[in-house]
Amino acid sequence: MSSSNDAPLSPRSQLALCCFEELLDCAVADVASECHRIARLGLDRSVDAEEEELRVWAARAAAGAEHHHPGGGGAAEEAGAGAGSKGGVDVFGQTHPAIAADVIKCMNCGRPVVAGRFAPHLEKCMGKGRKARAKITRSSTAGRTRSSNGITASSYSPYSNAANTNRVNVPNGVTDGGCGTGGDHSSHVP
Amino acid sequence: MSTPSAPPPCPHLAAHRLSSRPLRFLRRCLRVRPLGRPEIRRDPRELPRCSPCAAASPSQSPRLYACLSCAAVFCPSHAASHASASAGPGHQIAVDVDRAELFCAACGDQVYDPDFDHAVFLAQSSSLLPSTSSTSPSPAPRKRRRVDYRAWAPDPAEFALMSSADPTTSASAAAPAGLRGLNNLGNTCFMNSVLQALLHAPPLRNYFLGDRHNRFLCPRRTPVRHRATEADAAKVACLACDLDEIYSAAFSGERMPYSPAKFLYSWWQHASNLASYEQQDAHEFFISILDHIHENIKDDQHKSHAQGHGDCCIAHRVFSGILRSDVTCTSCGFTSTTFEPCMDISLDLDIGDNTPFGVANTKPHVRNGERGLAGMNSKVSTLMRCLERFTRAERLDAEQKFFCERCDERQESLKQMSIRRLPLVSCFHIKRFEHSAVKKVSRKVDHCLQFPFSLDMAPYLSSSILRSRYGNRIFPAEASDADAVSELSSEFEIFAVITHSGKLEAGHYVTYLRLNNHWYKCDDAWVTRVEEHTVRTSQAYMLFYVQKTLYYKACERAAAV
Repeated sequence: MSSSNDAPLSPRSQLALCCFEELLDCAVADVASECHRIARLGLDRSVDAEEEELRVWAARAAAGAEHHHPGGGGAAEEAGAGAGSKGGVDVFGQTHPAIAADVIKCMNCGRPVVAGRFAPHLEKCMGKGRKARAKITRSSTAGRTRSSNGITASSYSPYSNAANTNRVNVPNGVTDGGCGTGGDHSSHVP
Repeated sequence: MSTPSAPPPCPHLAAHRLSSRPLRFLRRCLRVRPLGRPEIRRDPRELPRCSPCAAASPSQSPRLYACLSCAAVFCPSHAASHASASAGPGHQIAVDVDRAELFCAACGDQVYDPDFDHAVFLAQSSSLLPSTSSTSPSPAPRKRRRVDYRAWAPDPAEFALMSSADPTTSASAAAPAGLRGLNNLGNTCFMNSVLQALLHAPPLRNYFLGDRHNRFLCPRRTPVRHRATEADAAKVACLACDLDEIYSAAFSGERMPYSPAKFLYSWWQHASNLASYEQQDAHEFFISILDHIHENIKDDQHKSHAQGHGDCCIAHRVFSGILRSDVTCTSCGFTSTTFEPCMDISLDLDIGDNTPFGVANTKPHVRNGERGLAGMNSKVSTLMRCLERFTRAERLDAEQKFFCERCDERQESLKQMSIRRLPLVSCFHIKRFEHSAVKKVSRKVDHCLQFPFSLDMAPYLSSSILRSRYGNRIFPAEASDADAVSELSSEFEIFAVITHSGKLEAGHYVTYLRLNNHWYKCDDAWVTRVEEHTVRTSQAYMLFYVQKTLYYKACERAAAV
């Protein structure tokens, strides 16, 4: 917005400038009128309170930073599983290990698990997460046939018979005598 | 304290009110332009001009006043002469024709009158009658009668009785009741931090400690032997019961850290999509458990949680508020209003782009520069500024044109949010994690946020926002009871802060609790006492405020327990 004194403005430019100035004055007057009303009617108390808060906060933050920079550890946070304040004790005078040593009985499988490793255990146990397979627990297989135990009981096994037949044929020269299992062929020794 | 109060009138205004004819005639001249801007015109097409000026130069002054007594129009430079020159008194008061503001030419200052404001307000609301204005009945028609608050403090005898009965509240106790560390079960600091905040949310704490949800009597729990298949397990686990167990453990007086393993197991049964051994977002967890608590204990008869009454479950009773969303057509001023319940408010961190002037400039307070704090502004955001930004009128994108019923076509519009009803506990979630869909990258915003310990939410209420939209006029008491009472109880006190430190993928959550006016840091199993400035300078991620004064609903039954 240049109120330049270089060259005389054309009437069109003058008009445009006039318009602009009027709009600007109007906008400024709007704001002034609103602010005046807000101030007079007591609506702006929170603004002052907020600025006061900000000032106090800035002062305290600066003071705190001075105190704690040499100290270091107090406010420093650790990324990861959270080891809390280094050294010292908590408000009850206790200390705690990095990984919680409490032993918990898993609700899913019933096994005792160290608290600090409960979540990864539970993830696998419940079959959530990426690499987990749901564990077969007592409760999940109740009522179903135990297919895992069936293998030993059934006679479905190709190897056991073959072993028997081979064993029978092993002795040399002994043919047909006493051999009860399918002696269709006999080896003749010339 | 945001109800406008009329300042004492200047002697000229007072004299005018007594002697001159009432302002009734002005009502006929009040015309309301789109977006609620009132102006004074005797005739709709009238173009006022300053008579003394008209002779002189063609340029017009932006401000024109019309004398209330003789309707002469003049600009500010001729105002004083009109007031003194005219014969007879009563020519001192004029009205700004474009802004409908009273002006005392003798004092040379803008003055305010409640009756005039009332007239303007009526003109504005009648012009926008088809849409909801603040005098129309609220969509939540049930009026809540409230019992008046009477302050109470124990006398010495009662105080002695209280201290002797409960050892944990006596002066000799090392730490306040309910303070107990929570073991990290493997990347579960997100869960521990939220649990700590919930453990000390006064309404929620009182609910569980008051045995309102007894885990041994909960009908949703069935005994183990009745459990038919694994599929029923999810229905059996009641998160509210597990929360009850955590309250019992925390307030038992035991000081060794507690392992919330059962809660984790129950939550994973409910929220299977979030069940994995990896770091999670605390806010997501917070919303998830509130949702599941609602599912577990909601009373199916009460469908009213959609209106934010909170009668369905304790989670909604404590955290649910109602947000009001107004979409205004920029060409005709028609406003469409919707209400939606919310459990928390997510705020953008405004990083130092302090543009104090919203498009329509409807903010209740306007900043005039930050005197003396200029150096701070680029890095420091404040919670109040974030809230102001949240309730600011925003111009919607050209692509999101809103279909205006009155114009009968799509128009550009303004959207403004405000709070219709405040919850008992306000949870503010600071959006520190930015996910850019374009760049396919997420990052954390580390800027510091200043937050007050005492917060007055009055400027963000619908009543305040609406009032400022219509020019902050003084008008008589609010139409609906609910609004009036909510003004009384808009003061909040902070009690918990959940902070996040570290990076997006590998970070750590810590909760700061304010108990008995001391601050405690709850870092998983480690609970330590800290100073205020540690809390003030931490990176707040979630802030929990509780209403300072709780009101009891008046009981309709004659004989109440």
